[in-house]
Amino acid sequence: MFPKLDPILHSELRLAVVSLLAGVESADFTYIKKQTGATAGNLSVQIEKLSTAGYITVEKGFKGKMPCTTCRITDAGLEAFRQYVAALKEYIS
Amino acid sequence: MTANESLALITETLNNNRKEITRRGGKYFILWGILLTFFSLLVYALWKSTGHSYWNNLWFAMPLVGYPLARMIRSKEESAVATNVVSRIISGIWTSFGVFACSLAAFTVLFTIVGDHPLAAIVVGASLTAEIVLLFGLAETISGVALRNWAIKIAGFVTGIGSVAIYFITGANEEQMFIFTLAGLVLVATGLIVKRQN
Repeated sequence: MFPKLDPILHSELRLAVVSLLAGVESADFTYIKKQTGATAGNLSVQIEKLSTAGYITVEKGFKGKMPCTTCRITDAGLEAFRQYVAALKEYIS
Repeated sequence: MTANESLALITETLNNNRKEITRRGGKYFILWGILLTFFSLLVYALWKSTGHSYWNNLWFAMPLVGYPLARMIRSKEESAVATNVVSRIISGIWTSFGVFACSLAAFTVLFTIVGDHPLAAIVVGASLTAEIVLLFGLAETISGVALRNWAIKIAGFVTGIGSVAIYFITGANEEQMFIFTLAGLVLVATGLIVKRQN
């Protein structure tokens, strides 16, 4: 019996965001948008879903006079990501 | 998405991300390399033409020029920012190098002024150029370790140890500025390697 894939992570953009955040301490919205190639609107929606699930934290602030949204992966998000990758490996093997 | 597609997406995202962050670090190596080369040649030219070594005090202007420029580059770098362990280590290494180098230089100036202090003979007697260039070589080598790049590791070792050897062969005169010119060019080369290795 294959383990169930986390539905929160099993979406292309959300998985890309979590993969990106898993490799950094923090990243701002513009950076994530650039790296994932997503539109601002879609990215905002997916970030909100990840935040609601407790996988990432979102901090809104200012960089100079410009608004800046910084995202970080949480311990729960990292653990979910690990489990997701482990499940994928089982599927493949 | 299939399992393979998901894994491919994860791998690609992680790799692209690491490369992007490392690549961004390259421009700071280039900036400080150009400044180091410029200041070494400027101090050399002034020292050579006037015969006074006090032109070495111009080195204190380098961080005053460099840090605002680095800040300007960072603020212009879109608003997109991300940090990872490697970028934080590299930043820490070179900030520490800057603090150590400036402190050593400041102590030397201070003890040159207060010449009768017992520590003065030790501090002023030591070779500031050799000390700083050795620290530089160490910082460069550790950067190579963090970036997993052999060319940078070797460049750091050769610059550090080689420059100390050159210094003791040529002696304390204006020619020693070429050691810093070499170090500056090594920094520029490091920046180009970092930008290109990705």
